[in-house]
Amino acid sequence: MSIAIRQIADIFGRMGFGIAYGPELETEHYNFDTLNVPPDHPARDMQDTFWIKGAPGTVLRTHTTSVTSRELEKMAGAGEHEKRMIMPGKVFRNEATDMTHEAQFYQLDGFAVGPDVTLANLKGTFETFYREYLGEGAKVRFRPSFFGFTEPSVEIDAWYEAPGKAGAWLEMSGGGMLHPSVLEAAGLDSTKVQGFAFGGGIERLLMVKYGIPDVRLFHSGDIRFVHGFEERV
Amino acid sequence: MKVSRTWLQKYFDELLPNAEAVADAYTFHAFEIDSAEGDELDVKVLPNRAADCLCHRGLAKELGAILNLPLAHDPLREPTPHYKVEPCKELSVTIEDVKKCSRYMAALVRGVKVGPSPDWLKEALESVGQRSINNVVDATNYVMLDLGQPLHAFDAQKLMQKDGAYAIGVRSAKLGEKITTLAGDAYELSPERILIVDSNTDAPIGIAGVRGGKAAELTQSTVDIIVESANFDGTDVRRTVQALRLTTDASLRFQNRPSPELAAYGMQAVLELIRKVAGGEVIGVVDEYPVRPHLAPVSVTLSRINGLLGSHFVIQEVTDVFNQLGLPYDVANEAFIVTPPFERTDLLIPEDLVEEVGRIRGYDAIVPAPLPNMEGTPDQARFRGIERMKDQLVEQGFVEISTQSFVKKGEVYLANPLDKTMPALRTSLEANLADALAKAKHYAPLLLPPGESPKLFEVGTVFPKEGEYLELRMTEGVPAWGENAQTVDNLSIAKLEDYGKDYEPVQYRPGPYQPFSLYPFVLRDIALWVPPDTDVGRTTSHIRENAGELIRRVDLFDHFEKEGRTSYAFRLVFQSSERTLTDEEVNGIMEKITGALARAGLEVR
Repeated sequence: MSIAIRQIADIFGRMGFGIAYGPELETEHYNFDTLNVPPDHPARDMQDTFWIKGAPGTVLRTHTTSVTSRELEKMAGAGEHEKRMIMPGKVFRNEATDMTHEAQFYQLDGFAVGPDVTLANLKGTFETFYREYLGEGAKVRFRPSFFGFTEPSVEIDAWYEAPGKAGAWLEMSGGGMLHPSVLEAAGLDSTKVQGFAFGGGIERLLMVKYGIPDVRLFHSGDIRFVHGFEERV
Repeated sequence: MKVSRTWLQKYFDELLPNAEAVADAYTFHAFEIDSAEGDELDVKVLPNRAADCLCHRGLAKELGAILNLPLAHDPLREPTPHYKVEPCKELSVTIEDVKKCSRYMAALVRGVKVGPSPDWLKEALESVGQRSINNVVDATNYVMLDLGQPLHAFDAQKLMQKDGAYAIGVRSAKLGEKITTLAGDAYELSPERILIVDSNTDAPIGIAGVRGGKAAELTQSTVDIIVESANFDGTDVRRTVQALRLTTDASLRFQNRPSPELAAYGMQAVLELIRKVAGGEVIGVVDEYPVRPHLAPVSVTLSRINGLLGSHFVIQEVTDVFNQLGLPYDVANEAFIVTPPFERTDLLIPEDLVEEVGRIRGYDAIVPAPLPNMEGTPDQARFRGIERMKDQLVEQGFVEISTQSFVKKGEVYLANPLDKTMPALRTSLEANLADALAKAKHYAPLLLPPGESPKLFEVGTVFPKEGEYLELRMTEGVPAWGENAQTVDNLSIAKLEDYGKDYEPVQYRPGPYQPFSLYPFVLRDIALWVPPDTDVGRTTSHIRENAGELIRRVDLFDHFEKEGRTSYAFRLVFQSSERTLTDEEVNGIMEKITGALARAGLEVR
């Protein structure tokens, strides 16, 4: 996981992205309200989100997009017109675990905001990222999607040719153009700045890249997993 | 939402392309396809379109827009149905709270003949995984699947008439009020639940927006029916579904807030279909419609569309999209003013229209563009500070692990833990790290040379009641850092930004993952007298070559010289990825190795 985040940080760093952190115990405000998730949205239900006993309005963050809210607010406070950040970090979902689902996993969220950042830039950014991370043959494809905090919203697919296997399109991430309400909630003027945001599981990316069969291995604390990668220099 | 291609075809004069092309059209311009089998497609309608697309008409409209095929007929664009304008003397409707029910239409139909449905109706329902019940119930289900409006039919004769009139009411349940549904399940309700009642007796006959009640169930002998086409509040319905753990096709649709305008179209279609398949005469229709929705026009400019998408569309390409989607619009000075039709409750802001243009034209039309250059260096200082700490430890032979945040006991507890045995958040990494170390020691012979013991560390968030922080914890100290060096550190207060500012984290390039075996491993030692200057590497390979495919490690763990002779001691680790190895099996391999070494002139001690 550390190795992967380093490589991701390096590639995004060269495209101008800094790295931001935020709390794992998050307020409903930053996890939902500022992200245009309405108060009666199903995502806030008990079955999707972990709530904290005796602390109403406190959740285990369900995405690192909560850090986006915080970073956009800082950006507005500092009067900046341009900012790019990635937020790798642990997130929590109250869902049954199996080989491809974990209740806790790492997410790579990110955003680029500026006077004229476009959806084409999101595509360009991911094309660069996947080519450098997965290999020269990687391609990017968008499909329509829906997220409260972006409009338009897209699914980001990567074309990946695993060594010795036929290429395939893989669903990797979600993204889109930040919803004006999200920019406004942070105190930014949505008529002057715009930007893209994205988020996806890091484990999923690594499972694809290294051929890891079970997502539960990542946070098992089992050193046999760490030793399962033959190091290539 | 399960749809049938044959059913969709009813909306088009032109023949639809094959199932694969239809699936692709949805996938790249509207919705993911969960599965496609023969004639049946399972379409994953997105939440913002579930108000109008959980039905064949909505999905046909989308498909028509994507493929640029006009609909042969669109039931929602036909004139608004007109019902008898004079007050209906035989039926009345009262709504207690208009926030919970914005519209309630009821129709009294006399003289129906309940029986089996005609084949076409049965087949249509079965083609999307539904079961045929009887002609009247099937008609209500068919229209719901066709237009998206949930409908229900009550047996009128099971309701009370007062002064020759039936009375339907929509009201909150009383505390502890009981109802048995059509499925035969009994529920005890709280006042948050909304009921449909026979107002003449105040008896419940249905749970609003979820399921009808047993009390007014249709039977073979039913002759007079009351048909409901209503609109209930999505949040109320969702809470009811959760409270009663009862999801139905109707509740699924109401949760997504279809327009109350749709109720009239649903009523018109279902009365027409009931007349066709079950006969009868419509005596009257009551329409209580206290709250009417208002959809405002939405404007967007061409420059906003291209400015957000990074595209180069021209006016014609945009108006084509609106035409194909059937969105009425005006154009003035490169600005488009769109008046959404009633069912498109999702079109509220300019960016919603940008999305319509982007997806219908296709996101493939968007050419990837690199981000413009930005001044200054990106701020990764804190990250690099943390990674520098990790690199220092790796240099000292430590291995980084990651463990679960949920534990048995802590200071902060989850209100709704997934695993009831792990209800708390960890206050320290200590316990998890100790468990991991115990496990690591057990597997050490498999992973590390003899004599080396595993050293672990973890960097993770911990949650004492004073507030979370990032902890670094190691299983032992680093001698090189001095005797008093700690094995634990609070990285949230450490000045990591300065420490990391100019640091470049070491980059590794791991190879593909090799799954580890779940079966036990077996250790064997072998000691040899060897001639002086015998090469360790060659001896190791010699052992490996004769050990077969079950050998995992060969490590020299001891050597000494005595009376001019040299002794080597090797530790061998055997493991299978398919089974537990037996002693006999490993003994056999050892004999083979011993024999081979002896033939090579090495004396096994």
